[in-house]
Formats: sequence, structure tokens, C-alpha cells
Amino acid sequence: MIAPGHSLGSVTDKISSIVLRRTTPRGWFIGLGIGLLLVGVLLTAIAELLFKGVGIWGLNNPVGWGFAIINFVWWIGIGHAGTLISAILLLFRQEWRTSINRFAEAMTIFAVMCAGLFPLLHVGRPWLAYWLLPYPNTMALWPQFRSPLLWDVFAVSTYATVSLLFWYIGLIPDFATLRDRAKAKPFKVIYGMLALGWRGAARHWERYETAYLLLAGLATPLVVSVHTVVSFDFAVGIIPGWHATIMPPYFVAGAIYSGFAMVMTLAIPMRKAFGLEDFITLRHLENMAKVILATGLIVAYGYTMEAFFAWYSANPFESSMMSGRMFGHYAWAYWLLIACNIVTPQLLWIKKVRTSVGALFVLALVVNIGMWLERFVIVVTSLSNDFLPSAWDTYAGTRWDWMLYIGTIGLFLTLLFLFIRFLPMISIFEMRTMVPGTSKKEDA
Amino acid sequence: MNPTPLSENLGRIQRTALMVGVVGSLALLIGAFTSADQFFSSYMTAFLFWLGPTLGSLAIVMLHNMTGGAWGFAIRRLLEAGMRNVPLMGLLFVPILLFGIGHLYEWSHADVVAADAILQHKAAYLNRPFFTIRAVAYFAAWAFLAFAMVRLQARYDRHLEIGALRQMKSISGLGLVIYVLTMSFAAFDWGMSMEPHWFSTIYGLIFVVGQGLATLCLAVVVASRLARHEPFSRWFEPRHFHDLGNLVMAFVMLWAYMSFSQFLIIWSGNLPEEAPWYLHRIGHGWQALALLLVAFHFAVPFLVLLNRPAKRKMGVLAVICAGIFVMRYAELFWLIAPAGGAPFHISWMDVVAPIALGGLWISFFIRGLRGRPLVSLQDAKLLGKLEEAPIL
Repeated sequence: MIAPGHSLGSVTDKISSIVLRRTTPRGWFIGLGIGLLLVGVLLTAIAELLFKGVGIWGLNNPVGWGFAIINFVWWIGIGHAGTLISAILLLFRQEWRTSINRFAEAMTIFAVMCAGLFPLLHVGRPWLAYWLLPYPNTMALWPQFRSPLLWDVFAVSTYATVSLLFWYIGLIPDFATLRDRAKAKPFKVIYGMLALGWRGAARHWERYETAYLLLAGLATPLVVSVHTVVSFDFAVGIIPGWHATIMPPYFVAGAIYSGFAMVMTLAIPMRKAFGLEDFITLRHLENMAKVILATGLIVAYGYTMEAFFAWYSANPFESSMMSGRMFGHYAWAYWLLIACNIVTPQLLWIKKVRTSVGALFVLALVVNIGMWLERFVIVVTSLSNDFLPSAWDTYAGTRWDWMLYIGTIGLFLTLLFLFIRFLPMISIFEMRTMVPGTSKKEDA
Repeated sequence: MNPTPLSENLGRIQRTALMVGVVGSLALLIGAFTSADQFFSSYMTAFLFWLGPTLGSLAIVMLHNMTGGAWGFAIRRLLEAGMRNVPLMGLLFVPILLFGIGHLYEWSHADVVAADAILQHKAAYLNRPFFTIRAVAYFAAWAFLAFAMVRLQARYDRHLEIGALRQMKSISGLGLVIYVLTMSFAAFDWGMSMEPHWFSTIYGLIFVVGQGLATLCLAVVVASRLARHEPFSRWFEPRHFHDLGNLVMAFVMLWAYMSFSQFLIIWSGNLPEEAPWYLHRIGHGWQALALLLVAFHFAVPFLVLLNRPAKRKMGVLAVICAGIFVMRYAELFWLIAPAGGAPFHISWMDVVAPIALGGLWISFFIRGLRGRPLVSLQDAKLLGKLEEAPIL
């Protein structure tokens, strides 16, 4: 789980030095620069949107949900791996989670932030977004409680809150380490405040462990519930291609699939850049590859069922939806999605591929693209060809759609680079328990 | 090892079970001649019920080969004995293939199909020859996987062949994929097509999860009985039951999650091609059974299993698992019996069939347990628990 030759001190030194060293590597500035540049693009796209309205997007009459929903689902799906790694793998006592949980959780929070932007902007007047919340008001208006779009508001906001809490609580002992090791006064003070007076007393640890376990228990159903509600956004409607009972588990699996692919996409360059190969070992990458393979197969199961039942249902709308996907205007997207999400990941059955860092990196990128395409296919093909042929229309994202999407990637990168520089990206105290000879928690 | 009281005890149970199985089957035979429709409905329900722990055993062994974990080693032999019953289940399916299709499935009647455009569309899939070929293919796949698992495990036990372990692992990955796919389509064929207009894409997964749940529950019940005797009292530990309890809870939640999702999506869609299936099952007197499922297939076990002490106490866990196991039958009964809008009814055959098939199943299960070490000696040594593997 950890390369040989490490002691308690060397683990602490290695991880905390990334945060505490004075000089910052040039690569970090370049990365942050790119991120900030794209944030500029994001702000431009938002400004134009607020100035002119959602008409600048490619939305049209049958296709009322375009990039905004695709990107929302894509980002929120990516977030799921973080919670899965930190909560579910903790409950299942999978120790290999330890070195990747911290930045996976960070990734979750940043991804949820990016995701949240899209529905907020999609409502057109984000300053009135609080209307989504049920509160007694003078207009005596309540939101539609039967609508999954409202459940989304509850699910995503709860998810964001719990994820943030979980992440912060996990950081507290490490904040204390940084506080004790920081040389510069301002850092001492800031980390000190964030550490909430942590002294590492036995009582602190006892309460900490309880709180952490409770939060893990709370976060676990959230992983499932958030993407389930997202799948309900589609499935409770009667649009062909959306209204399928397999949607909830297959969406959840897809979320974990894309999330792990993103963790891999980030972990591989990061361990290289900061020399963390001792902590994020090949074994970690291989385990993640196995999770990607397993969840990818569940997703493949979902596609298979959709295709089979499009025929079996004997419903002309279902079968025309499926043949439209396979051979219609967007056939390229469908087959590219099958190639990215189903065909290529089968390479992961081969151990050689699972243990080759380069191959894994490429595969993870392919899955990221595939999962974006999946949402594109679901949203666009179903809406563009609905029940009335005279109302059919095609859809394509405009310049502003793409700018907004790429802009959120910039926001994500910016937050990630700030995180890497100022917070320990691997949990120091949990890594210490991985050093041979330290007593581990028995029977959590 | 000399015959122990436990061994004699098991022998007695095996004989009794066989007797119950044979007598019950004879009684069912009479039923088959007096009311064939009812017989096949009851028989199919009981068949699917006992297919659960058979295929579930196979699936959980394969899953354990991929994940590892102490809980799996603890119940491994029980699961192996369970999957040895695949041929038995294959044999029990023969009456359905030979005589049952016409009684169970309206798509098998040419005159019904001739008057129904939807069934004509589906005839390419729902027809007697293809139905039979598929059933044979499913059983062939399951028998092959079960056989491979049992044989490789035996090779490993005898010679401690690491190669056998590795082979087992590589078969398991693909085997799980094959199992989930074949079982899904088996569920469509055997259960869903009883109401041939209706369809639900999650239906197969609900069966898969149900089989896993039935298996875990049965394994807990059997393990808790064994654990009262030496040397198994040293072999099974509270932490094994704790882990198994967690798994049971996970499967209970998964089952409820999938069942509820299906209900919610169909309820909110409210389409004439989907809603009748539920109307048949939450009306016509079936609503009480539906509520019973909500309470005892989900709510009660879920609330009890949330408590850590309950999962560590073998007795409490065994009672809960036994309850869930019974509710597995209730669910299958609720899925099958109301097909086509039949009003609420329970025939004597609905009670006798699961007992008769269960008698046969249990007697063969015990036969599979006896005569070989009940604990893999290698695992036992590895875990430093027992010096020799006990044979029943």
C-alpha cells in the first residue's frame, strides 16, 4: 500500500513539504495560469449570457435541454468518485483508498461547484434561483414537489454540504500538522484557525473517529441518491429514451465510472509531478482500473437493456428513438460513445494494461469523453426526435455553449491547483497508519 | 473424525428433507392433474424461489473471488454446496419446458398471438423453440460455471495450487458478466413474459439482487446453526456475522432501491402499457401482500440491521435472515400469481410447492456439504484458526 523504506517522519515530511516549501515549481504557475485564463472565458460567457439571455445558447424548441444539462450531469457524475472513495471504501475497509481519498474529495467539491453553475444559469435569472426553495412567501407559491428537478435542488445542496463537511473534518488533524510545521507567521495563524485547536489528544481522536464514521455513513446514501435523482430528471418523464426503469442504477454506475476515470486523469500526472509514486502506487491505479472496468460493465448492461427493450416493447416511439440514435443524425455520437465507454475499456481485462501508467491515462481520458457523449446522446437524441415529426429539429452547441463548458473546466483546474499548493493533497495522518509497524484500527 | 452428534443430526435432516420433498412432489403431481394452470403457477414460483440460493451461491462465490474478505471464506463451503444444486434445478425445470409453457404463457397460443399485433411483433423472441433453446443455454452456462468453481476449489484444497486460484479468479470476472446477463434474460423469459405486453428494463436486476439476498440469508441461517457446535464455534466469529449482516443490509437496500425506482418511474409515467402491471399487484386484494413486502422485505430488516449489536449477535441476525428468506418467497409470489389480473388467491399448492422443492433442495444441499471438509483446510490454516478441517 506504501512503498518500503518509509517512516512516520518521512511520510509527514514528504507530503507536508509540498505545501510548506517556499519555492513554487514553475509548472504549477503554468497550470494555474491556464486555469485562470479559462476562468476568464467562463466569466465572459456568463456575462454575455446575463446580458443577452439563454437565446445565445443552441437551445431550440424541441431541444430545450442542451449543453447546460449535459454538463451538469457530467460534472456531478465526476464528483461521485470522491464520495465513493472516501465513504464507501472506508466502510468496506478498503485501505487502498487512503492515499487518494483527500484529493478525490476535493475533486468532488470542485466538480459539484462546476455542476451547480449550469442549472443556476439555465434558469435564466440566477438571482431569482432562490425561488426553487420551498419557503412561505407572499405569492403563496410553492415549487412542484412532484418534480424531480426540485428533488435535484435538495439532493445536490445536501450532497455539496455533506461533502464539504466530510472533507473539512478529514483535514483537521492535517491542519494541525501544518500549523506546527509552518515557519511563516501568517500560515501558522491561518492553519491554526482551521485546525480548530486540535492537539491530538486521545479524546480528540476518539470523537474525531466517531464523527468521521458517522459522516461516512451519511455520505454513502447520498452518493446513490444524487445520481438517482438526476436519473429521475429523465426517467419520470415519458420521453422515449428517458423513460426507462434501468436509469437509476445505470446512472449511478455511470457516475462512479466517470468519477474514477477523472481521479485517474488527475492522479497520474500529479504523482509524477510531485514524486508521489511511493504513496499513489501502481496497486492503487490497478484497483481504480478494476473499479472502472466493473462500473463500465454495468453501464454496458444499461445500454444493452435499452437496446433490447426498444425492440421488445413493441412501442413504435421507443424503436424509432433507438434506430434514430443508431442510424440517425447523431449516429456518430452514439457509436463514438459505444467505442469510448464499452469497447475500449475492455482492454482493462488485461493486467498489462491495468499496470501501464500511460495506457491508463489514455483510457481514463477516453472514458471521460465517452461519458460526456453519453449525456449528449441521452439529452439531444431523445428531445430532437420526439412524438411529432413536424416538430423535430436538430441541435448543436454554439460558441457560447462551448465557452461555458470549457470555462468550467478552467474553474475546476484553478481550484485544483490552489488546493494542491495550499492543502495536503494526501491525508498525512492516515498515510502514517499505513507505515509498517504502526498499529491499525482493528475492526472499524 | 468420528461421527459427531452434528453429523448424525445433519443426516437426519437430510433424510427428512428428502422425504418431505418426495411426498410433497407426489401431492403436487395430484394437483397437476386436477388443476394444471394453478399447478404451474405455484410450481414456477417455487422453482424461482429455490433457483435464488442456487445461482446466488455461484454469483457470491465469484464475487468473493474478485473481492476477497474473511466473510467469504467463512461461508464458502455452504455456497459451494448451494451451487452444486444447479443440475437439480435444471432437472426441475424440465416439467415446465415439456408441459408448462402453454399453461404459463399466453404468447404460446397461436390464436392469442393471431389477434394481438404486439405479440406478433414479439413472436421472434417469445416462441416455444427459442424459449427452450434459451433455457437450455442458461442452464448450460450456469452448470459450466458452477462445475468450474467447484473443481478448481477442490484442486486448490488438495494441492494448494496457486494456479487454480488464479484460474478461478479469471473465470469469475467473466462468469459474473455471464451470470448477470443470463439471469436477466431468464427473468424476462420466465417471469416478465407472463404478462407479455409489459416490460421494465430493471426487472432482471431485481431478480439478480433477490438471488444474492436469498443466498446470504440462507448462508447466515445455516452458519448460525453450525456455529453452535464444535469446531465451528471456533471457526465463525462475530466479525464474520457482522460483515455478513452488513452485506445483507446492503442487498436489502439495493432490492428496495430498485423496486421503488421501478414503481416511481412507472407511477409517474402513468402509461397504459406499463401501469396495468402494478394495478394488478396493488389491487384485486394483492395490496396487503404489497404492503407486507414493504414492511418485512425492507423496513423491519433495514431498521434492525442498522444496529451494530444486532449484526454481531448470531441469533438476532439469523432470525432476521430467516424472515427475509421467507419474504423472498412472498415477493416471487407477488410477482407471479397476480399475472394477468387474477384476483387474490392462495392455493394449497402455493404452500406445498416451495416446501416440496425445498425438501429436495435441502437434502441435496446437505449431501453436497457432507463428505468433504466443511472448511477449506488451506483457508483454515491461512487464517490460523483450526489445525484440521472438520468433515461432517
